[in-house]
Amino acid sequence: MIETKNITKIVTTSEGSLQILQPISFQVKPGESIAIVGASGSGKSTLLSLLAGLDEVSAGEIFLDDAPLHTMDEEQRAQLRGAKVGFIFQSFMLVQSLTAIENVMLPAEIAGLPDPKKRAQDILEQVGLSHRAHHYPNQLSGGEQQRVAIARAFIGQPKILFADEPTGNLDAANSEKIEDLLFELNREVGTTLVLVTHDNTLATKCDRQLRMQAGELIEITSQSNVKPFLASAGEGSR
Amino acid sequence: MVTNLAWRLFKHEARRGELTIILFAIILSVAAVLSLSLFSERLQGALVERSSQFIAADSQLRAADPISTEWLTEANSMGIETAEQISTRSMAFGEQQMSLVDLRAVGQGYPLKGDIKVANEPFGTPSITQQRPSPGEIWIDSRLFQLLDVKLGSTVYVGDSEFTVARVLSEIPDQGFSVFNTDPMALIALEDMEKTNITGPGSRVVYKAYFAGDTSVIDSYYDWLRPQLDDELHRWQTVGDDESAIGRSIARAERYFLLASLLAIVLAAVAIAVAAQRYSQRHFDPVAIFKTLGASKQLIRRVYILQVMFITVLGIVIGIIAGVIIQQLVVTALAGQVDVSLDVWHWRPVFIAVLTGTICAVLFSLYPLLRLFSVPPLRVLRRDMGASMSSKGLQFGVSGGAIFLLMWVYSRNLEISAILFGSGVLLVGALVLVTLGLIAVGRKLGSGSMGSWQLAWARIRRRAMDNSVQLISFSITIMLLLVVLVMRNDMVAQWRAQLPENTPNYFLINITEQQKPALEQHFADNGVNIESFYPVIRGRFVAVNDERVNTEVTKEDDPEATEGRRGLGREANLTWSDVLQHENKVVQGSWHANWTPEGESPLYPVSVEQGVAERLKIALGDTLTFNVGSEIVVTKVTSIREVNWQTMQPNFFFVIHPAAMQEFSATYITSFHLDGDRKAEITSLMQPFASVTLFDVDARINQVREIIDQVSLAVEFILVLVLVAGSLVLFAQVQASMDERQQELAILRTLGAKGTLIRFSVINEFLIIGTVAGLMAAMANEFSLFMLQSRVFDMEASIHWEYWAIAPAVGALVVGVLGAVGCYRLLALNTGQLLRKMV
Repeated sequence: MIETKNITKIVTTSEGSLQILQPISFQVKPGESIAIVGASGSGKSTLLSLLAGLDEVSAGEIFLDDAPLHTMDEEQRAQLRGAKVGFIFQSFMLVQSLTAIENVMLPAEIAGLPDPKKRAQDILEQVGLSHRAHHYPNQLSGGEQQRVAIARAFIGQPKILFADEPTGNLDAANSEKIEDLLFELNREVGTTLVLVTHDNTLATKCDRQLRMQAGELIEITSQSNVKPFLASAGEGSR
Repeated sequence: MVTNLAWRLFKHEARRGELTIILFAIILSVAAVLSLSLFSERLQGALVERSSQFIAADSQLRAADPISTEWLTEANSMGIETAEQISTRSMAFGEQQMSLVDLRAVGQGYPLKGDIKVANEPFGTPSITQQRPSPGEIWIDSRLFQLLDVKLGSTVYVGDSEFTVARVLSEIPDQGFSVFNTDPMALIALEDMEKTNITGPGSRVVYKAYFAGDTSVIDSYYDWLRPQLDDELHRWQTVGDDESAIGRSIARAERYFLLASLLAIVLAAVAIAVAAQRYSQRHFDPVAIFKTLGASKQLIRRVYILQVMFITVLGIVIGIIAGVIIQQLVVTALAGQVDVSLDVWHWRPVFIAVLTGTICAVLFSLYPLLRLFSVPPLRVLRRDMGASMSSKGLQFGVSGGAIFLLMWVYSRNLEISAILFGSGVLLVGALVLVTLGLIAVGRKLGSGSMGSWQLAWARIRRRAMDNSVQLISFSITIMLLLVVLVMRNDMVAQWRAQLPENTPNYFLINITEQQKPALEQHFADNGVNIESFYPVIRGRFVAVNDERVNTEVTKEDDPEATEGRRGLGREANLTWSDVLQHENKVVQGSWHANWTPEGESPLYPVSVEQGVAERLKIALGDTLTFNVGSEIVVTKVTSIREVNWQTMQPNFFFVIHPAAMQEFSATYITSFHLDGDRKAEITSLMQPFASVTLFDVDARINQVREIIDQVSLAVEFILVLVLVAGSLVLFAQVQASMDERQQELAILRTLGAKGTLIRFSVINEFLIIGTVAGLMAAMANEFSLFMLQSRVFDMEASIHWEYWAIAPAVGALVVGVLGAVGCYRLLALNTGQLLRKMV
């Protein structure tokens, strides 16, 4: 579903250019769930932004559902995101001036899917928020906002879901509810899940964990066995 | 889908108050422009109507020959109203006495504008009449009752006809305004003129045709008439040609309205620019979200362009309603004082207002929108990422171009537009330099322990670019308000100075040398103060440097004198004095106070009025010959004077050294002021001096004063409107900048900073910005005022030092207070709410 080959990211600062991501290669299979973990500043979010096509790689190749992201321009990537990708963010990123249901409808409308309102109602029902459909984000609690965000992410039945610290802004009780909801929907829709998290419990719920450190992918851990990254990463990795 | 989404966003944002500021700015611009221009258009209409009364029509044709009936028929066929008058000077006889009269024969329809006023008894209170003399009737001036010793019903003879005295004539609209035009007026019917047989060859008769109707129709009529006119015989006059004090005051007021409206447009534009920038920044997140969710650039562009369209349309609609209401309120409030007709509806202001709203909304939101479209989707992960596009050059280019375009379209006056725009550009340039300077100073001041002042300086320094934009918009707003305010003060002061309280409203002429002391005493005993006595003697102007002057008879101080560009009166009123009169200024040569006669027949110095000198091509050193009585007086031009004709005092074209006139016995002219409520005393005041002629200019002065008062009042209202608009703009600016401060306040609050520290740091920041903006505005104001007053308003420019102190103080106060109010609102929220607002 996702394949990266030696992707790197270099940014230009006032003190010269800085490589914030060393060459990274790995693959994610369809339906698999992956957690990218690591300390702050280790490059987790950068990696996520590249995988999701929100940013461009400086070198290397990325294929998202066989589409070569590295050759596509912003417009083409947007199209791809609209068709195949869902997002969940730590700060929810709901459009403040749209109601819960309108936020959920948004991806379906952008993708031109039929009957977006009906779809949105159904999925809001599924996340248990049908009674809050016409509330604005600032009238909802953090947990509720994230449920709206999840509903929005799943409305288009995306092939891949990217989640950036989905429980980072929530308390323990809400975190658990959100996690459960996320994995439940993930299973239901058969989505490939890539999430960035600090939360070990959440990470261990994923099939595999990619550990980042100072811009390098240092190990890949599987639920059943921990194996050294170098052994499985194949050529191109250090 | 796009329209749907855009409409939904628009609806929710409007409901949640997100659009308030930008909507408000558009409403403000449309309402201000509409109300100002509608009001000024209506007021101008009223003033033109008013001043048209001075020529009794919208246009007038004066001729030395009878006016062709064909010309009048043509005018009538075009839908223009016409009327006729024939005037001449002639002798009128009572049973015992006779007098020279200014005889006016008026036809049907006269006057087309203004009113004839009559009284029940000589010197009685005038009242308007709709009638005009019937054939066989004569209406005569109060003075004629004395001079001819007649009563109402008596018979008066003019030429070969006899007339019955039917009314006391007080006033006709176009009687002229001349101290020397001493002949009392008599009014008869047009058809009676021929019977008098006084209009034969050799008599000086003026034929006038009056025209009233739509300006455009009259203009096209004039286009038709013009080729048939002979410059030697005909003269076309329109209200706008009015060179009198009133005409100039009105022209100046019109320019002021134009200026005020232009400034209102600029203010509104600034408000929209500020609001659009804020709007754009608030939508960075939604755009990033849309992009992340796969929206194409085209979709985002369409959603936001539609949004701007919705806002613009709504703003324009509400703005027009508000503008009409404001204008109506002002007109209603002024109804008692200003004669503004509400019946007339003008479409041009509506068109201009809509155009202004559209240009402002479109051009000023262009740059913020371009920035908005460039927000990268990555912002959803990296919250600090803003728009990737940034070009101050483009921003200033588009905004500046839009403002200039608006000014030019609106004023159709390149000069005013260029002056205001130039001052603005200079101001911006200077402000950028000052901001850089401030940042350097702030770097020093802002270090050290963290008090409220240090925090304020630190903020100013950190947000250098934002602050420079803010400083520029504050300064421009304050400058524009200053220009409107100071311009109004100067203009009204100059108007008032033309006709101060106690301006002489009566003139006395034909006072003999012997009567002088007795008259002075008698008036003093009655508590009336007499101004200076000026000797007057009639002389014929014979030659310039031995070249004979062939001119026709006109007299100075007669507004009609200017018509005869060919020359000056053969008969001139000469005066002599070695004291330069008040409001006279020597512009060439030197005043003859210290001249001493040399030799047997010296060349006496004469001072010539500038206009006459130009017209007759008289230069310093020329020899002018006058024939006074049977004597020849030869003079040499030693000075040329500039005379302020707008003052109500006797003025003279020629002032000769007293030594030249010793031999002649002159009469004297003087003037005095008498309050309106003492008008009845005139007869008793004048009784001992039957041979002295009284000339009453009270009505004329009141008329001029009324118009000036009305115009001043209107100017004041416009000032208030602009001030309100300006204050709202300032408020919008502070509000917009409050958003940017929110985050910082939240952090400071979270870190436990005391409310007072935060509040004072914000207030201090605004105080600093307000002071600097005020100071810069005072400087720019001086520059624009100098340019405007000297180049556009035909006024004497002066420096306004007081505003150099007032502007920074008021700037600091207003901006500081607004800052405090905005800050208070934020500080009223608890930290949690503040943090939530940031998300």
